This record gives sequence, structure tokens and C-alpha cells, in this order.
Amino acid sequence: MRNTPLTNSSITTALSEQGLNAQPWWVEQWMELINSYRFKKRLERAWSYAKEGNVISITFEGRRVHARVQGTEEEPYKVKIWLDVLNDEDWGYVFEALTQKAKWSAQLLAGIMPADIERAFAASGKRLFPFTLQEVRSECSCPDKANPCKHISAIYYLFGDRFSEDPFVLFQLRGRNRTQLLSDLADQRQKLIVSLTKEQMKNKAMIQKSSMPDETPIPIHPAFTKPSLWWSYDSVLSSDLVVITPSLEEDTGLNTAGELPLAEDPRFSKARQNFMNHLHEQGQKFSQQAMLQAMATDE
Amino acid sequence: MSLLHATWLPAIRTPTSSGRPALLLWADTWRVATPTGPKDTPASHPFTLNQEDLRKWLIAKDLLPQETVTATACLTLPSKEIRLDSRSAQTVKDNNNSTEYAWTGLPLQAGEPTPKHCEWWPWQVEGLAIEPGEATNWLSKLPLSEQNQDLGNELLWWSHLQRWALSLIARGRWLPQVELSKGEGYPHRARWLPLLNREDDRRRLEEFASKLPLIATCALPWREPIGSKANRSLRMRPEAMRAANPVASCRPRSGLLRVATLLADLVDAQLRKNFNPTTQKLDPLLTAWQEGLSSQTGLITLPNNDVERLAKASNHWREGVAGNVAAAKACLELFIPEKDEEHWNLGFKLQAEADPTLQIPASSVWAAGTKTLQLGEIRVDKPAEILLEGMGRALAIFQPLERGLEGATPELMQLTPNEAFVLIRTAAAQLRNIGIGVILPPSLSGGLASRLGLSIKAELSDTSIGFALGESLTWSWELMIGGITLSLKELKLLTGKQSPLVQYNGEWLELRPNDLKNAERFCSSNSTISLDDALRLTATEGNTFMKLPVHNFEAGPRLQNVLQQYHKLKVPDPLPAPPGFIGQLRPYQEKGLGWLAFLHRFDQGACLADDMGLGKTIQLLAFLQYLKAEQELKRPVLLIAPTSVLTNWKREALTFTPELNVYEHYGPKRSSTISDLKKNIKEANLVLTSYGLIQRDLEILNNIDWQGIVIDEAQAIKNSYAKQSQATRQLAKSWKHKRFKIALTGTPIENRVSEIWALMNFLNPNVLGEEDFFRQRYRLPIEQYGDNASFKDLKSRVNPFILRRLKTDKTIISDLPEKIELSEWVGLSKEQQSLYKKTVEESLDAIATKSSSQQQGQVLALLTRLKQICNHPALALKEKTLTNEFIKRSAKLERLNEILEEIIESGDRALLFTQFTEWGHLLKSYLQNKWKTEVPFLHGSTKKQERQAMIDRFQEDPRGPHLFLLSLKAGGVGLNLTRASHVFHIDRWWNPAVENQATDRAYRIGQTKRVMVHKFITSGSVEEKIDKMIRDKARLAEDIIGSGENWLTSLGVDQLRELVTLEEN
Repeated sequence: MRNTPLTNSSITTALSEQGLNAQPWWVEQWMELINSYRFKKRLERAWSYAKEGNVISITFEGRRVHARVQGTEEEPYKVKIWLDVLNDEDWGYVFEALTQKAKWSAQLLAGIMPADIERAFAASGKRLFPFTLQEVRSECSCPDKANPCKHISAIYYLFGDRFSEDPFVLFQLRGRNRTQLLSDLADQRQKLIVSLTKEQMKNKAMIQKSSMPDETPIPIHPAFTKPSLWWSYDSVLSSDLVVITPSLEEDTGLNTAGELPLAEDPRFSKARQNFMNHLHEQGQKFSQQAMLQAMATDE
Repeated sequence: MSLLHATWLPAIRTPTSSGRPALLLWADTWRVATPTGPKDTPASHPFTLNQEDLRKWLIAKDLLPQETVTATACLTLPSKEIRLDSRSAQTVKDNNNSTEYAWTGLPLQAGEPTPKHCEWWPWQVEGLAIEPGEATNWLSKLPLSEQNQDLGNELLWWSHLQRWALSLIARGRWLPQVELSKGEGYPHRARWLPLLNREDDRRRLEEFASKLPLIATCALPWREPIGSKANRSLRMRPEAMRAANPVASCRPRSGLLRVATLLADLVDAQLRKNFNPTTQKLDPLLTAWQEGLSSQTGLITLPNNDVERLAKASNHWREGVAGNVAAAKACLELFIPEKDEEHWNLGFKLQAEADPTLQIPASSVWAAGTKTLQLGEIRVDKPAEILLEGMGRALAIFQPLERGLEGATPELMQLTPNEAFVLIRTAAAQLRNIGIGVILPPSLSGGLASRLGLSIKAELSDTSIGFALGESLTWSWELMIGGITLSLKELKLLTGKQSPLVQYNGEWLELRPNDLKNAERFCSSNSTISLDDALRLTATEGNTFMKLPVHNFEAGPRLQNVLQQYHKLKVPDPLPAPPGFIGQLRPYQEKGLGWLAFLHRFDQGACLADDMGLGKTIQLLAFLQYLKAEQELKRPVLLIAPTSVLTNWKREALTFTPELNVYEHYGPKRSSTISDLKKNIKEANLVLTSYGLIQRDLEILNNIDWQGIVIDEAQAIKNSYAKQSQATRQLAKSWKHKRFKIALTGTPIENRVSEIWALMNFLNPNVLGEEDFFRQRYRLPIEQYGDNASFKDLKSRVNPFILRRLKTDKTIISDLPEKIELSEWVGLSKEQQSLYKKTVEESLDAIATKSSSQQQGQVLALLTRLKQICNHPALALKEKTLTNEFIKRSAKLERLNEILEEIIESGDRALLFTQFTEWGHLLKSYLQNKWKTEVPFLHGSTKKQERQAMIDRFQEDPRGPHLFLLSLKAGGVGLNLTRASHVFHIDRWWNPAVENQATDRAYRIGQTKRVMVHKFITSGSVEEKIDKMIRDKARLAEDIIGSGENWLTSLGVDQLRELVTLEEN
């Protein structure tokens, strides 16, 4: 087996060594997209470009990606990448479809990219994910006429990782950032509910509805009627704060949260791993310090 | 006395400030203040210590944090309006130059009674601020349980919150985050964020929020306008000040978010302080992040794009673990299958965080749309999004949910039996840990009830007459699980089904692998159950017997009766005063007598711990008389008491139970050999001795066949290692016969963990076991961590043996008069005795030789001097300063000291009257020294202004002095001192009217409590004679005694001799 990026496996292996062993599905899909590209030679050069840290910056600005890649010239080349944006009408269809399935809203609200999200986009006849690389628009300031040039391709390589930082990046490239997406989704849900209320839910929710005032005034804080609440506190220490212990089940926040979804800068290949290891070590130190401090109180 | 407060100053982020929060320490103290109100800015809080004084005070109390800066903040406090009279009224000019009255008043202080109309105004408060890192250090050192008089209650809340922060850090419940700037020019910050997703932590957040003392968070920081430095207050234009510090109040809000922010600040501060960045090479983003995480300010210096990237990644990272802080959470409820159905229903709901019983079904959530939902008193914003977001996270743990979320507005889904089992067994706990509520059917909810346990029926055995703790009961039992009883055979049958969820009698039960083993082990053990077990099992919930939880305990009628009396669920049957008892028992005293008799019958030691003044002495004497009347008092009873109260015992016994033969074993002439003592107490029923003597005469005393041992002021044996405690325990052991044991104390002994072991070891040694065990099991957990479960358990164990009634108990109040007069009989110390005798002899001889006109003056001088000696030799000897062992020189002072200890401990206040100004001064320095607190003394030469200040302070200051010394003449009339509920007449005056007038300073309109009047009488001395005369109605008439002592001078020398000679015993 050649140690080149030409095969799918070698690329993902290279990345997984850096810690991204469980790729989110949309990152994998992106890598498949790249690896399906015909000009293997160019991809190979682009991969070493990316690896050697020639990509100086990638920024998502609105619906476009701006990047700077150090080429042969002194001044880095400027690269722009974008996707076709969905118009408002298309988005309208997408939202309508999204609200039909509570699961989609649920996952999006929880920051998870639903695996079958394309089904919602199918309603508009559009896609969230580009189907081929040809759908990915790009420009590079380099003299190379071919598109994608190796600078652009180098960015493609690093993209996958960047998608895993924030699943909403794809939506942003299609014209809705996270905030817009969630608020539009809420609006659409409201519309749906209004229509549903008119039809099916009339009977069901009748009883609850009548007991639900539209805008209930904020209840008066008890301290207004009992000013002594300003000062009084007489509880005993809760019994499970009596002895301060470390977590038994290895369920620290760091363990549960897993890998930090921050794309690695190829120039600093071990950085994220080092950072995470260091956090774990520090976490154990914190834990011991906290227990010592808690015991010092006891004396 | 000053009271320390701690208020959090929130971070204010401005372009020029990184906006670090801080903890403001400030103290208020009572002083006379003119009502004031806000002008351009909030008014200065008139009761706060200034920064200089605060610093000194903190140093004196050893509370000063390491690094402090002076700070001012604007606190919203409940305030009372007090209008100034029109001439001095504060006025404001509005735009039309017309004049209006402005609000004036004073802020309330902690503990101050709430006025009818309370308003909320901002006050400018100065204090010392500590940065968060140091604040966490400082808070960690505060006590976690005991109340420190100098600390406001909210400091206990703070120390508990810090304890929680430590627990979160120890458990690693945090993640580093990036917080984006709030707008142009504001900095981006790196932050450590605690994770509150686990169910216990979420519940705790609710608890902390619901109990938040608002003073901890009621601050808006005080902003100095930018650019002004020196002489700020002069240079600042009012408009600038007004703009920077509007007269604005903080609304009290129920503070889930607020408390979460405080906690985050505490956790952030500690981790920031302790974090060392790695020295390994990182990329620029992580480098900047870890710098921000370790620096004080948290600033991240990176291009905006990069920071946004970091923020998104860190946020996305966190989302996987923790939800947000909201008033409600998504919730799943599992229902057992309908009859003949195989599938289990799972309902979707919203559940209030504050009260898990408040739930609302998904259908209503969908119907509410974007509106706010009301769950009881709780408002839930964006309910649909909370529900959906929770489901999104739940889906990652419990995949079957995906089926349920296919529709647009799902309400319910079906689970296969396997899925239901996965949910019950593993997923429910995981879901709860990420902040999703899960409600399981009761029999499967995983609590103690769903574990295999026992249902027990028990009764005293037929032959049982009295009882001993170890005696076996007749009993029967059944296995019980999920509220259902079943036999071992049935259990085996169910286990045979090899299914974790089984249906039995229509209920679903979860069987665990060990259940059958436990049941078999228990069934083959042939165990017996003792009365001791029954008492333990019925004392608290959740007890186990042979490692099986006891779900149900049913006692037969006879056992029930014993248990009820034991656990004091039933008032003891009252016993009327026995024949031979002179006087009347109040109803609660009859019950006390009945209770002493109840425990005596069952051979258990008893501790009568009634409040001072409720008549413990009388109840004990009545009990002894009851034994005597029942012909049960066959051998002498030994009563051990502090020397200072022995006189009182003798007097009271003489008054109430003259049939009892009382013998005193104290003083230099006491029996010095066993045979001597045996001879002397042949006829005695009650032998009095002191704690000091039982050590010295232990051998003699222990050779007497006592019927019982009584200890008075039982707190004297609180230190179990002290010699007198050991001697007492020695005496408590049986000798020829069993000895009954009774302890008397006025202190809330059941609340004093450190003292209770010694007491119980004296009374009933088996109840609390050995001291080492006691220390590990109860004392350490309770004292060091305030462990409530252990405390409850301890209380339930000792509860049967302690009877404590308070003056304030409703049932007691109706039995008591509003004014209770107590005669405190005291003796004389050795020094007092010899001084007294010497003075009498010398003076009488001198007087006899004088002419009658000279005699008058000499007689008065003699009486005065004798009364002074009764108070304290130092007074008679005109000493100006306190000598060593000052207290030991006067029996009266010793007794006074003991009573005051009880009063101060129970938070009561007392007036102390004396006719000797010099004594007042000496006593003042003694008391101040002893209690390290100010004791005001109002006497003839106190200036008018000072008098008023003393009185105001005593009446108004929430933490004002507990003791107030007054000279009888200067303080006896006109004053209103109703805050006192005790009045002491340290020395006697001839005229009861004068004493009564003094008493009426406290006992008058406005007094809401019972007033106790303590009159000291030195037994055998001139004071006793005065007391007798006062009591002797015939000679009370004003015209004979007048208001002075002049009539005394007309006494003949013989009469005088009779009056002043010290009568011994």
C-alpha cells in the first residue's frame, strides 16, 4: 500500500491518527466527495500542501469561505469558495419539510446534524450537501487556470475537519446561519401549530388551552411579602456535599464530551492531542486540590 | 455588634474593563442614624462600617482576606420610610423649580422586625472587595454548619455554594469555553464553565436558588465616571453621577440563572488560578485559549474570526454533554402495558426543574407554540424548544426514541418490552445525567421500595412484664417488593422466568440477580428480633434488618403502646402531686412527673431538660416524694450539683418536700470515712453533694448503696474525659443494687453532639455505644459537615430519654403566668464567710459603744457592707480591678454566671439591677471580659444622651447587647426595656415596690414574652432576713419601711444582731 492520499483509507487514517476516529457522517461524506475527484495527481500535491501548513487561514464570512494559501509567490494566494445559495422560497419548502418531523428540529436544536437531513431538502428540489465537487464554486488568485487548483484542493482537504467544528457551517453556506435557521424553524413550527390547532388539535388541547392565559404576569417574588428573605438562610449542608470525592465512574466533563471538535492546523500536528492530554492531567490536579481544600475546611 | 455580609458584584464589561466580578465584604452595625434618601445618586447606607473600621474589625475577628481593595456598590435593600419633620425635610427640585418632598428612611438590618410597610431602595454601601480567586479561598475557610455570631446568614449560603463548587471541581464537572464579546470593543474571554447536567446537580441548583438570601446578589456596582480621579465627589457633576449610578433597584428574582452564574464565577476563578498552561507547542488558537484560561482577565487575543471558530467549537463540544439552564426540562414517562398488551407506552412531557411533580404533557406544549407556559407558579419560556432540544439529546442515548419523533407534534410512543427494560435498567440513569427527566412506574422506579425487602409484624411476648432492650419479640415477616408481599416460593417461581421484568398480581416488578440469594439467606437464618431492633426500625425511615430494607413494620397493640411512649408520640400520662408534696404542680409538671415515673418503671435513665424556670427542681422533688409515698424509696438518693446551687436545693426541698430527709455532704465538716457517712445518712432520703467533691470522696461515696444518682446542671459532665465526668459515670454503675439515673439540665442537650455521648453514657450506656464508635458514626459527620441524616438518626436514638419543654411551647404558655418570680438561693464562698463574720463581730462591738446618734450611721454602714460582701468581697474591699479567679470569690457571681450562660445561649436578653454603682462597674468589666461583648451600664452619672443611646440600642439593634446593667436608682423608673425577658435583682432592696418598679422596665406593655424575675438571696445572711421581711405582709406597709433604710437605724442592738448575724445552715 502506498502511503499517499490517493486512497480513501490513507487519508482518513492520517486524520484518525490525529484523533478524529469517529468522524461525523457529514465529514465522511465530504471526504468521499473529494476522493471521488478525477485528477489524483493534483489532489496528491494539494494534500502535501495542506499537510505542510501552506494554508494560512480559512474563514467563514457569511455565505463564503475566504482562505489564504502560501504558493510559490511571496504574497499568499486568495481563495474564495462558495455554494449555491438557496433562495427564500426554497428555504420555505425546507422549513416546511423540517417541521414535519420533530426529530429534525430536536436534533438541530441539540446541535446535531440529522443523518437524513437531505430528505428535508429534497422538498425544495435542492440539496444541503453538494453532490459533486463541481457544485462547489471556487476562485483562486493563482495563475493556474485549472479549477480546482491545488490551492483550492488543499482547502477542500481541511474543510472536512472544519465541518466537524460546527455542523451549521453547511447551512450557513447555503444561506442560513444557526441563529437564523433556528428562529425560522420556530416560526415555521408556529405556523404549523396554528394550522394544526385549527384542525386536529382543537379537541385535544381544548381543556389545557382554556387554563393557559396568553401572557401571565410575572409572579411576585416572595421576598416582597417577606422581606426577611433578604437575609435568612438556615439550611444544613446537603449530605452529599459533606465529603468531597472525585467522580467514580470516569464521567468527568472531559471524558463525556470526548474529542474537542476543533480542526487541526496541519502545521501543529500534535497540538490538539497535547492540549487535551494536558487538560486531563490538569483536571486530575484540580480534583486533588479541591479535595485538599475541602479537607482543610474540615479541620 | 457588627454583622458581616458578602454580596457578589457582577462583572461589568466595558470597553475599558475586562469586567471581573468580585465579592464585596461589608458590615453593618447599629447606630443612631438620621433618616435619609436618594438625591442624585443612592444615599449612603447609614449603618455600614467604613472601610478602615471594617478592616480593623476583620483583623480582630481573624477574617481578613489576603488581598482586598476598597469598593463601593449600590445595594437594593428593604427599607422603612421615616418622614422627617417639615422644617428639616429633604427636598428636591424638579424641572419647574417647584419643591417636592423626597423619600427619606432607613435600610432594614438583618434580624430587625419587619415594619408594616416595607419599601425597596438602593443604598450606597462601602466595603472591601476581593477578587474571585481569593474569594473562593476565603469562602472555603468559613464554617459549614455552626453559626458564627459575626457572620450574616448569607455567608453560610456562600460557604455551601463554594462547597458545591469544590465538589464540581473534584468530580471534574467542567469544560473550558470561549465566550464571545458582547459587542464592538468588548473583549472575548476564555472561561471555565461548570457542567450542571447531572440530575443531582440540577436539583441542587434549584435548592440553592430557592434558598438564595437575596442580600448575596442585590448589588449593582458603583461606577465612577471615567476620567475623574482626585476629589471625585467634588468635581463630579451631578448629571454625570446620576448617569453612572441611577437610583435604580435590583429586582429580586428567583435566581436559577443568577445562582448558576455565581457558581460559574466561583468555579472559573478556582480553575483559572490553578491552571498551568502546557509548555508543549500548540497552534495559535489553542495557545491563545490556554493563555486566556490561565490569565486573571481571561482575555483572548486573536482575530475575531479565529475566536468565533473557537467559540463555536467549544460550544458544540459542550452541547454534547450539557443542556442549558432553564425552568423546565424534557421528560419521558413510562407506563406499564395495558392488560393483554405487550407494548409499553412512553409519554413526552415537560417537567419543572424546581418541582418534579409539576408536569405538562407534550400536547399542551405544542399547543402553546411560542407562548410562555405556566407550570404552577413557574414560567417556562419557549417550551416547545426546551422539549425538542431535550429530545434531540435524549435520542443520542436512547435510540428507540427516533421512532417516536417521526411526527410533527409527537406526544406518545410505544416501546417493546426489551426497549422498556433497557430504559429502566440503564438509559433512565444516563438520561437523567444529561438533564432529561424520566418517570418510571412506582414499582420499577429503582428506589428503596422497588428493592426486595421485608414486611414485619411484631408484638411483646406474652410473658413480657417490663422490658429490657435486648428482649426478643414474637414476630412474623413476609418478603416484599414494590409494595407487594410474596413468599419465597413465589419469588423462586418468578426468578425462574429468567426475565428481568416480571408481572405478579398485576404489578410489574424488576428482579435483580441477588434478590433471590438475599431472600434465601434471610429465610434460612432463623433470626429473632429484639425490642432494641423494633425501636431502631420504627425510629426512622429506610432502615434495614439483616441487610434487607424494612418496607413495613406493624406493631401489636402492647408493643405499639411502648413504642409510642418511647418515641414520645404520646404524651406521658400525668401524675398528680404525690401526698406529702407541699404546693401545686402545673399541668406540664404533672406530665414531667409521669414521664420520670414511666422511664423509671422500665429501668431507663431520664434527662429532664426543661427550659429554665419551668421547675425541674420541683419535678424531681415531686418524683422522689412520689417514690417515698409509694414506699419505694428504700435507700438514699445521691444528688450531684454545682456548689452554687446546693443551697437552693436544700431550700426548695425544705419548702416542697419536708418529708424528705435531706443530708448535705459538703463543706469542711462533711463525713470523712465510709462508716461516718453511713451512720450520718442512715435516715436520709436525699444526699446533696457537689461535682467537685465526688472526685475527692469517690471511694466513700461509691461504698454507699444508693438507690439512684441524680445530676443537676448535667452539662457539667459534657467533657467525658474530665475527672468529674468519670467519677459520675463510676457512681452511675450498679453496685449492690441497680441505681436509677436522672439528669437535669436547662440546655438544649439534644442539639449538642459533643456533649450527648457523656450524658447518654451516664443515663443508658447501651444507647450510643462506645465513644470511638460514636465519634466516627455521629460526631465527626455532624460537627464537621453538618450531616443532617446522621443528626436525625442520633436524635431519634436519644429522643426517648430526653424531655425538653420550652417556655414558648403553646401547651406550656397557657400553664404559665406572664411573670415568673424565682428565688435564687446562694451560699457564701469561704472568703465571703470569713469576711462577713469578721465584719459583723467588729462592727457590733463598735456600735454597742457608740451613742445612739452615731449608731445610726454605723448601722447603715454595716448593712451596706454586708450586702456588698454578699455580692463580692472585691466590692466590700473597694478593689477597682478584676483579680484572678474573680468568679470563685463569690458564690453569688458563680450562680449568676451559670444562669446568664443559659440565657445568652438561648438568645434571650436580661436586665441586671444592682444598688451599688461600684459593683456595676466591676460586674460590667467582668461580663464584658467573659462574653467578649459590650455590656452597657446605666447609672446615676450616665449622661442623658448616652442613656438614650444605650436604651435605643438595647431595644432596636438587631444584634444589640444581651445584657444591660442598671443601677436600681437610675434605671428603676421610666425606661422601656421590653426586649428583655429576664430581670435580675442581684442584691435586695428593702422596699418591694422599688424592686417591682425596676422589674416593670421589662414587664410592661409591649412585652410579648414571659418575664422571669430572678431574685438573689444569700442564704443565712442579712439578705435572707430582708427577703423574709419583704414577704411578711404585715411589715410591708409603706409607712413603716418607707422607701429607704432609715427605719433600720432605730433597731436595738439585739435586734440588729439578729438581723446581721450569719446563720449557718
